[in-house]
Amino acid sequence: MHLQLNEDQKMIQESARDFAAKFVAPKAKELDETQEFPTELVGQAAEMGFMGVAVPEQYGGSGLDYVSYCCVIEEVARYCGSTSVILSVNNSLACEPLMIAGTEEQKKEWLTPLASGKKLGCFGLTEPNSGSDCGSMKTHAVRKGNDWVINGAKIWITCGTNSDTFIVFTSTDAAAGNRGITAFVMDRSTPGLSVLPMHGKMGIRASGLSELVFEEVVIPDSQRLGEENKGFKIAMNTLNSGRIGIAAQAVGISRGAFEESAKYVQQRVQFGKPISRQQSVANHIADMAVQIDAARLLTWKAASMKDHGQNYSTLSAMAKMKAGECVSWVTNKAVQVHGGYGYIKEYDVERFFRDGRICEIYEGTTEIQKLVVSRAVLG
Amino acid sequence: MSLRIYICCKQVPDVAMPFQIKEGRLVTDGLNYILNAYDASSVEEALVLKEQHGAHITLVLIGPDKAKEALRKGLAMGADDAVHLNDSAFDGSDSHAAARALAKFFADKEFDFILTGKQSQDMDMGLTGGILAHHLDLPYVTNAVGLEADPSAKKVTVKRQGDDGQEMIDVPFPCLVTCSNDMNDPRIPSLKGIMSSKKKPLELIALGDLGMDASEVGSSGSPTSLVSWAEPDQRQPGQKFEGDADELVNTLMDKLTNDAKVI
Repeated sequence: MHLQLNEDQKMIQESARDFAAKFVAPKAKELDETQEFPTELVGQAAEMGFMGVAVPEQYGGSGLDYVSYCCVIEEVARYCGSTSVILSVNNSLACEPLMIAGTEEQKKEWLTPLASGKKLGCFGLTEPNSGSDCGSMKTHAVRKGNDWVINGAKIWITCGTNSDTFIVFTSTDAAAGNRGITAFVMDRSTPGLSVLPMHGKMGIRASGLSELVFEEVVIPDSQRLGEENKGFKIAMNTLNSGRIGIAAQAVGISRGAFEESAKYVQQRVQFGKPISRQQSVANHIADMAVQIDAARLLTWKAASMKDHGQNYSTLSAMAKMKAGECVSWVTNKAVQVHGGYGYIKEYDVERFFRDGRICEIYEGTTEIQKLVVSRAVLG
Repeated sequence: MSLRIYICCKQVPDVAMPFQIKEGRLVTDGLNYILNAYDASSVEEALVLKEQHGAHITLVLIGPDKAKEALRKGLAMGADDAVHLNDSAFDGSDSHAAARALAKFFADKEFDFILTGKQSQDMDMGLTGGILAHHLDLPYVTNAVGLEADPSAKKVTVKRQGDDGQEMIDVPFPCLVTCSNDMNDPRIPSLKGIMSSKKKPLELIALGDLGMDASEVGSSGSPTSLVSWAEPDQRQPGQKFEGDADELVNTLMDKLTNDAKVI
């Protein structure tokens, strides 16, 4: 059994680490404060090949495995939750449905520009009254000849403000619930599609959150992804792999909080010695290290199973659940060991605390992951 | 008219990581090894010259199996091919022995210039480039912070960092230049670069291929030997004084005069 990265993966990890330290780290605080989408950083990430890490080279991607993808996301998340989720959304939520269900023509037209980073994509599933229960979505598509007419609204769409390409899930048979969902791909310029920026998030504030409104949007049937009423499976399969990326993001944010904490407790002197020599503080550092390593191992295991063509849906839920809880726990302790300094924006752990929290919510809440895992265990 | 460039590289422990020394020896377990930063700058400079004039860039490295990682890094940055002088007989070579082996390698090679880091981050000797230039009887410039090549005039203009400013030095081909890490900001290999580095030629050369005897390299071929490692003395913490201005001035004068004895 090998629990080590191979030579290629180590090089990828090192490059991503150097990229994150050089380009992402200096901008992370400002991005959080201004909530401005990091267009320049995303362009630089595209030059590195980070926008379609696991997409085959023939479709503009880097053609690598999912473990490598996890390394990239973790290294970027180490410094910036916003930038890492933008990469995650494009890599998995936008590219994956096209890889899963796209025809050859659709892949060439829509996937290649996304995976090469020439265009940016997003994923519209959630609605104001339809989150975990996506079968209750109200956005609907009605077939008219060779076209579809879409009406409705999506919410919490990461990258929406700056996306060129939108993957959208609609109800095409309301009575059938999950079995009546159809997926489409569309361009930003499509008449009737409005992108409304959303502000005021607790964390990952520069990730281009938006609401999407569809008013009599007409698109041809050639932009339907997969079979009619089979969109739920596309969404779930996409989220299965997307969750691995979010788990890697959670590990990265946790690592940022941990590394800053380990540094701080060795510098902060109270009662005549660094607080790292207070057992209660040292215990927090040990607990953080163990939590992060456990979360990372589960994440890499899920990624490795995907790479080996095994059924990884339970493992991706386990990884997302574990890493999500890990980042909430670790960033909380990071604020704690920083004391008052952890409660002000001057120190990065304050941002990590806010950024990390979403990892228990988006792409399936911790509760939904527990549902997936418990069903796999109990049948 | 494209350039023919060789770059001598070394893999070194990442000096940004904490070191441990036990019983006079460096603990190598758990150390992270990287391409020497000065050599990375040499690679970057060569790549810029390649973009300007066209070039074939070959990396040359002496080291064990693991050192191949440093070659892959350079190839991932964009070098064309690599040569790995890998033989246990090279272990323990000092700068003299390493330069002797490199000189043997270069004896039948044609090139416009050889670049190498002005020193390695681990030993900081800065000797190998100079000794190699001596063996090959090449014009030699140290501590370059800029390079301009003129292939038609068959010369390179080196911007060299001196103590009192910068010197511009013309050197005819073939020559050897050692590079500072202030020269540039080495590019980070992209994913495409990393994967393409696997497909680039990497030639393995053993001691016998160079026609050398084991007594010429390694510790037996090295006039100097590393006896032991020692940690630097711990810096004493600073002292903090309190009081009004007069008291502080008096205290400070007393300390500087009587304790530090600098006044």
